[in-house]
Amino acid sequence: MTAFASLPATSGAYSQGPQVPKTIKVSQLNHYFGEGELRKQALHHNNLEVKRGEIVIMTGPSGSGKTTLLTLIGTLRTVQEGSLKVLGNELNGASRDEIVGLRREMGFIFQAHNLFESLTAFQNVNMAAELADMERGLAKERIDYLLNRLGLGQRIHYKPKSLSGGQKQRVAIARGLVHQPKLVLADEPTAALDEHSGREVVTLFQELARDEGCTIIMVTHDNRILDVADRIVNMVDGYIRSDVAVHETSVICEFLRQFPLFSDLSTSTLTDVADKMMVQEAVAGDVIIRQGDPGELFYLIRSGQVDVVIEEDGLENKVAELGEGQYFGEAALLRDEPRNATIVARSKAVFYTLGKADFKDVLARSKTFVDELRSVLASRT
Amino acid sequence: MAFTNTPLAWKNLTHDWRRLIVAVAGIGFAVLLMFTQVGFQNALFDSQVKMIDDLQGDVFLVSRAKYTLAAEKRFPLELVNQARSASGVSGAYPLYTELTLSRLKSFGMGAPSKAFPIRSIGFRLDDPIFNSDRINSQLQKLRLPYAALLDVRSKRDNFPFPTESDEELAKVQAELADRKVVMVGTFDLGTDFAHDGNLAMSAENFAEYFPQRKQFGDPLSVVDLGLIHVGDKSRLTDIRDTIDQLLDDRVFVLTREQFRNQEIEFWDKSTPIGIIFTAGKIIGFIVGMVICYQVIYSDIADHMPEFATLRAMGYTTGYFLRLIVMESVLLSFIGFVPGLLASTLLYALLANSTGLLLQMTPLAILMVLALTIAMCIASGLLAVRKLLAADPANLF
Repeated sequence: MTAFASLPATSGAYSQGPQVPKTIKVSQLNHYFGEGELRKQALHHNNLEVKRGEIVIMTGPSGSGKTTLLTLIGTLRTVQEGSLKVLGNELNGASRDEIVGLRREMGFIFQAHNLFESLTAFQNVNMAAELADMERGLAKERIDYLLNRLGLGQRIHYKPKSLSGGQKQRVAIARGLVHQPKLVLADEPTAALDEHSGREVVTLFQELARDEGCTIIMVTHDNRILDVADRIVNMVDGYIRSDVAVHETSVICEFLRQFPLFSDLSTSTLTDVADKMMVQEAVAGDVIIRQGDPGELFYLIRSGQVDVVIEEDGLENKVAELGEGQYFGEAALLRDEPRNATIVARSKAVFYTLGKADFKDVLARSKTFVDELRSVLASRT
Repeated sequence: MAFTNTPLAWKNLTHDWRRLIVAVAGIGFAVLLMFTQVGFQNALFDSQVKMIDDLQGDVFLVSRAKYTLAAEKRFPLELVNQARSASGVSGAYPLYTELTLSRLKSFGMGAPSKAFPIRSIGFRLDDPIFNSDRINSQLQKLRLPYAALLDVRSKRDNFPFPTESDEELAKVQAELADRKVVMVGTFDLGTDFAHDGNLAMSAENFAEYFPQRKQFGDPLSVVDLGLIHVGDKSRLTDIRDTIDQLLDDRVFVLTREQFRNQEIEFWDKSTPIGIIFTAGKIIGFIVGMVICYQVIYSDIADHMPEFATLRAMGYTTGYFLRLIVMESVLLSFIGFVPGLLASTLLYALLANSTGLLLQMTPLAILMVLALTIAMCIASGLLAVRKLLAADPANLF
């Protein structure tokens, strides 16, 4: 049995199995600013995985390190400690050529538009298309499409001087997207935009993520666009405080809600529970828990099947089969008793586990809990 | 790296027309400064060899010791006669000049003036010596004793003769080397660093004025220059070589071109003049470089976030170097044209007021253009360090 005690369930890493390609893999990443006595650690043991086509929103107060992490991912800073893989390339110790090559596969959208005043909207966007060696006609088509999509169809050949702040920002967004980047890094892309154009931009992001497999990482404080996030990463003081795959978390919450003891809990409590769960993986034949052992974990089956076997008088009786969305291991935790059954994996399976202390902690939130529990247990036998 | 079609260098340069005007004015000024130096230098060098240019002849005999025209080193007349016997030579003629003994004093205002040195040029009136028709048409007048022609461009302060009218001039009482001289007419040669004025006269008169040229003997038996005419100009080098073999080591046998270059080289290399003008050119170059650096640097400084963005996008150092070199070259061309026009105008004005021969030659234009391009590229490469410091890490 392989355990991944350090991998939280809500990271979503196992929702589609571990084989899904990762655009970004951050592990044990530390970063420091300053030297000597003034040296200050800006990032602490950051771990993060982002899958292809995911839209990630990074949040956190200013100074929390999200921008530092973004610049590291964007190859704009040199990795000091730990490992950072972007689009399959290890950045720690990467050569200048590798970095230049990587940058061309990325799209950058900065908070400031940084457009050349001397170039028209079209020419500014074209600077990115030319670098990607895009065929001229194709590039023109795509530039026209993007600028039109972003509501600048009438102003394609205007210089930045004749554009409003929001229009300039949209030109910069088009520049960041024109060369079909595999990874887009955006800093407050919608800050300068009104609600309508902000929505248009994130819709465009979603289309690119879906149609072109483009991975998008955004730093934003704009609550209006949180709904497009596949994953929300929250940083505080250089630590990744939470890294939550939105869809996977909702799946877990749905599963948890099936558990009668949890059915009354609010979504936010359920999310907290989901957040505390860890990933555990098993192959066919693995014994997950053994009858008579002390109970330490509560299990939720994310995928695969298990057999429930009860040993009585030296005979093994298979009493049940459990599958995706079902749970086991709660009884021993509730009653502080040894396990009352053995669970064996029938197939390759992934479980989300919750520790005893956390489990009890959650239960304590509900007054009606113990009663509920008793009725549940009663109905079981 | 992809060849980029967006003419960013040109766009950035021409975007802010106010800055462009300042840039063009500054570089134009540097161009003007360099042209002025080149122009003056050429004019002064030309004036040093003006006499050579005014003389007829294809090959010249010059004493080996004569390091410049003003050095009074002579050689025996026989060598000229020997040269005449060489095959391919159609004529060889002696030319006499005198400066040390040649002092001209005028009695124009009653009291005699101080005697000032003037170059006297003596030649046999029947020999084809000068190109100038102005001299050749007055040869008859020079046959008289005491007769001489005065260079109208002789320094006025020293030689206040009424050169406007030949009649007035002939009336003026003057003495050359303490003997009476009558200025029967004028010619036009010009002054140089060593000579403040010129007199032209027959060899006979010349011998009368300067008998001390040669102790114990005929003053005309020592020659300052030998002028040799060749029949077939296409065989010039061969004939020069023949003469050179024929004559002994006392003289250089030089083509007109060699003679001219030797004279210019002396003034350029052996006197401070070349250094002074080189310094002037360097100053112009540096002024231009500073201005050009300022223009390119401030253009870069104003666009740091944009350049940093290009870096983030994956534009390489090579691209930025090419961009700035391109911008520099464009800047040098844009600045050169008005500088050239202004210089042409200035040359005309200065030529009118100083009498110096300021000419806009293709060689001078090419040289200054090359200097201007070098100047702009050098300052561009200095400024590019700023651009390469553009750090995309600060953009987020």
